[in-house]
Amino acid sequence: MSPVAECMVAFLFGSVVGLLMQRSRFCNTAALRDAIMFKTYRNTKALLVAMMILSTGFTAFMTVGAGHPLEFDVGLNTFAGLFLFGIGMVLAGACTVSTWVKAGEGNVGAVWALLFTFVGMFLFSLAWGWNYWPPAPSSMTGDPNLPALQLGFANARTLQDKLGIPAVVFGLIQSGVLFAIYRAILRKERAQHAHHEKRQKEVVVEHQLPSADLIPWPRPEKSQNEVAAEHQG
Amino acid sequence: MEFFRKTLDPVIALSIIAVMDIFLFLVIGAWTVGGGETMMTGLIAQWFMGDDLKRIPFWDVVFPPHGDYWKIYISLGMLFGAVVGAVASKEFYLRMPRHLSEWLMITVGGLLMGIGIRLAFVCNVSTFFGLSAEMNVGGYLAISGIVAGAWVGSLVYKKMLEG
Repeated sequence: MSPVAECMVAFLFGSVVGLLMQRSRFCNTAALRDAIMFKTYRNTKALLVAMMILSTGFTAFMTVGAGHPLEFDVGLNTFAGLFLFGIGMVLAGACTVSTWVKAGEGNVGAVWALLFTFVGMFLFSLAWGWNYWPPAPSSMTGDPNLPALQLGFANARTLQDKLGIPAVVFGLIQSGVLFAIYRAILRKERAQHAHHEKRQKEVVVEHQLPSADLIPWPRPEKSQNEVAAEHQG
Repeated sequence: MEFFRKTLDPVIALSIIAVMDIFLFLVIGAWTVGGGETMMTGLIAQWFMGDDLKRIPFWDVVFPPHGDYWKIYISLGMLFGAVVGAVASKEFYLRMPRHLSEWLMITVGGLLMGIGIRLAFVCNVSTFFGLSAEMNVGGYLAISGIVAGAWVGSLVYKKMLEG
């Protein structure tokens, strides 16, 4: 495919993604932050469903050698980088996708976050010239390189090559694990809902209790004055 | 049109996007945003610095800037799609952070996101919608990192809200 055609396909894909994200209010930051802080899972469930579809789809095509998987070494930098990113996205209130989507809605804060994401990238590019870590993709060998804190490269396809088991089998197992997490969230939501309803009923009952003056004669229990008189006596 | 009047269920939206992402994976590669943003950074820096940018090894060795990098157009497409959605649903209007603390958090957050993406070579989109789905070991490292980071970020955010 020519570079122009690639750019056109990418733009078309991005346009539909932007439209769907804007209409659904999905946000990756919310998927993690809301689950951690507020125990609400609207976005987390969507994220899990997408990952289930992708795990099955990608590994099915990787089984027959189709598709373009990401191929570069990973290591400590992968963990450390996403750790910094995780802090940043919660503070900024948006991830890479929602900065673009919110910017498209006229959110000046999102444009500001995007601007400083670019500044952060440029600052890191200056630091990279100082120690050349993590190694450039061209110098990554695919094998573990512990002095450079690199673990090498491995995915469902390399597992298939090493173990002789089709990549899609691993994909289905991963989807099964994600589905188990999804069901656990649904159970938790049902429990939250039941607790909420029970609490609401209790509040209603408390408010409906008649006051002592309205209880019809003869009163089933001693009045407060009678109890007080007994104590004094 | 009903589509622009009601909020779409994110499960439906993400399911459609996932199916489209599989198509993109077959044609050019899985959905990512960080790579395109890095290339945009390089192009902006080149606009300001010209050929002097080549003196910075990162832009000479790892990411030589060029405008026909397809990942840039995913981000531009997302911006376009969001504008269309917001205008059609009458949800487009200028919103400004009101407090200085908000500006500060957004600035620090943006910087950390930029540094994090370049340190890891991946963003949150590649983490969840690329690497992990390909069962790349980097996906699991990245998910551990982003969840830990989001937890620490939530603690900081809570402190800021309480303070």
